[in-house]
Amino acid sequence: MIGTVLGALNQGFLKTLQLFGVTLLGAIPLGLLISFGSMSKFQPLRWLTRTVVWIVRGTPLMLQLIILYYVPGQIMDASPWPMGENGRFLASAIAFIFNYACYFSEIFRGGIEGVPKGQREAGQVLGMTRGQIFFRVELMQMVKRIVPPISNEIITLVKDTSLARIIAYEELIKAGYDFLKGSHGYSGLLWPLFFTGVYYLLFSGLLTIAFNKTERRLDYFKV
Amino acid sequence: MAILEVQALSKRFEELEVLRQIDFSLEAGEALSIIGSSGSGKTTLLRCLNFLETPDAGRVLVHGETVFDAAETKKLSEAALRRRRLHFGLVFQNFNLFPQYTALENVRLAGLLLAKERPDFREKRKEIVAELNERAMFLLTDMGLADRAGHYPHQLSGGQQQRVAIARALALEPDILCFDEPTSALDPELTGEVLRVIRSLAEQRTTMIIVTHEMAFARDVADRAIFMDGGVIVEQGPAKEVIDHPREERTRQFLSRYGGLS
Amino acid sequence: MKTRTSILALVLALVLCLGLAACGTAAQPAKDDSPASDLDYVKANGKLIVGITDFAPMDFQDADGNWIGFDADMATAFAESLGVQAVFQVIDWDNKLMELNGKTIDCVWNGMTLSAEVLAGMECSNAYCNNAQVVIVPAEVAADYQSAESVAGLQFAVEAGSVGKDVAEELGYTYTEVVDQATALLEVSSGTADAAIIDALMADAMVGEGTDYANLTYTVGLNTEEYGVGFRKGSDLAAALNAFFQSAYADGSLQACAELYGIEAALIAQ
Repeated sequence: MIGTVLGALNQGFLKTLQLFGVTLLGAIPLGLLISFGSMSKFQPLRWLTRTVVWIVRGTPLMLQLIILYYVPGQIMDASPWPMGENGRFLASAIAFIFNYACYFSEIFRGGIEGVPKGQREAGQVLGMTRGQIFFRVELMQMVKRIVPPISNEIITLVKDTSLARIIAYEELIKAGYDFLKGSHGYSGLLWPLFFTGVYYLLFSGLLTIAFNKTERRLDYFKV
Repeated sequence: MAILEVQALSKRFEELEVLRQIDFSLEAGEALSIIGSSGSGKTTLLRCLNFLETPDAGRVLVHGETVFDAAETKKLSEAALRRRRLHFGLVFQNFNLFPQYTALENVRLAGLLLAKERPDFREKRKEIVAELNERAMFLLTDMGLADRAGHYPHQLSGGQQQRVAIARALALEPDILCFDEPTSALDPELTGEVLRVIRSLAEQRTTMIIVTHEMAFARDVADRAIFMDGGVIVEQGPAKEVIDHPREERTRQFLSRYGGLS
Repeated sequence: MKTRTSILALVLALVLCLGLAACGTAAQPAKDDSPASDLDYVKANGKLIVGITDFAPMDFQDADGNWIGFDADMATAFAESLGVQAVFQVIDWDNKLMELNGKTIDCVWNGMTLSAEVLAGMECSNAYCNNAQVVIVPAEVAADYQSAESVAGLQFAVEAGSVGKDVAEELGYTYTEVVDQATALLEVSSGTADAAIIDALMADAMVGEGTDYANLTYTVGLNTEEYGVGFRKGSDLAAALNAFFQSAYADGSLQACAELYGIEAALIAQ
């Protein structure tokens, strides 16, 4: 029995990891883009970006998942999502990437705006180009500022992946629940669901160690 | 010929006229101190010379060549702006060292980035980097910081940080080195070491413009002095005369508020 | 420092793992250490907590927010016969066994199919109502899907842990498990699934003319099954309810209530 349970939970954890990884890969560059939009000198773009960020951060991710996955098929003749597991993964990934990009963008904005103006001016009077100032001077200071808040968001993301269950993405919590519902020939097994906590705990423990290491590696200077 | 000529420079922020018709010139090897109360426009003048602010009117000439002309309407390319900028160096009030680089890297960085644009950089990389290192080390030694080259800014005292900043500005060999209240952010016991360095630069005939609140220093180190008030030059002349024997009433009032002098 | 952090993380994880496993096994067989008589427990509490979901026509709310329906009305009458008050508690259907064993509810009375899992995990009453699992498809293609064979190639949405899911599994259909039957209908109407398998009684109430799913209809019935009420394993309340059902059938009140909600054809004689 334990073998069956662990096998199923591992499968679910793999799906959780996939959603986690894809979200991280997509949300970081998109978040940077959105943060540039929210700081744009072009007012309509700034207004639009900030409104979108407000909407995305102001509504539950679970609702965004349901709307993104089910509404297109209600409006159109057929659902644009691929049938089955692939479509559910795709919809989950898009909802998660967009949601987390909006959270990240606010952190990036704080990080960029937090670098003192004098740093850019010092670069300018030393004849550096705008690119050199961003990459050689401001970027590292920004990274150091955003590592702690981004770490927090990433740990939250690990646990938030379980929301994708609402559109039947077969992640870890769902794999645990299945044993309560008579899957794999076992019914009413409670402990697999509780045991998923160990996966989350171990994974976020590993991430915490990695983040601490990153923070220590940036300890050599102060901003 | 004067190394620097400033002609009818004006700058306004919204409704506020910060600089009005500023005219002065500077000879090579001369040190000029600019004094005046806060808000008199002296810092804005330095920032205009260093292209951190754009004047609304007037011209700036270096070696007789126009580096800024408000009448010039076409926008300068970034590269052209940088070339013109490099005539000037600026030492900030609060140092603005790059925190993630050591003292040596701070001094070397801009030179290294410029060298990378040289066509022969790839083949001569080693020599160029060695040369830049040597030059940076020489400057730090000159500032009395040879043993601090590998330290990061947060490991240095304020006085040491400001001396690194001076070395950083000198590394690009600007025609005119500007100081914006270089000791205002320092604890009183640390101002001496920075002033000593600037004094020795003056003795080596470095062309300098020093905005400062240290009146005795302004008088002793500078050849000439300018007193500014309300965005205009009220009085200019030999430093000792302007500070010890001011002709204008406004200058006298200002200097008397900095009592204990003369 | 690094190794110390990782060891700490590992120890924490193990402690949690053991704690959860222990609590899991303890929560599961609550049957063994439940009080001698569940009936006495409910009477002492003065109330019967009835676990339900919003499931017309069995349990649903009227305009004033009171729970009505065939199951809700009978549960109220049963509680009255015991001299206690019926309290309705909406639960997550996935967690019904946990709720029951955790004593946060006293029974599951919500058009529950007497499946093998339910019979294994709960003390159940006699069956009181017939049901079937039916296939839901968009109305415009319904003509093509009138037999179990013709629907075999479709992509199904079924409620996780439901009888519909068991049926789909048995017949070898391709299916996705969603959180509840209402979501299964949403999948079909959104085109993210071709068809759903849900309870016939629910299909009657929720699809077709006059509902939000007017574009859906049900076609083939895939099995027949029976509804019952679930109590904690070993509870004497099940026997008490059987007796109550018999007397209610004898005096005709059970039939009257079934007629009120339009399910008299499905009622099982007691």
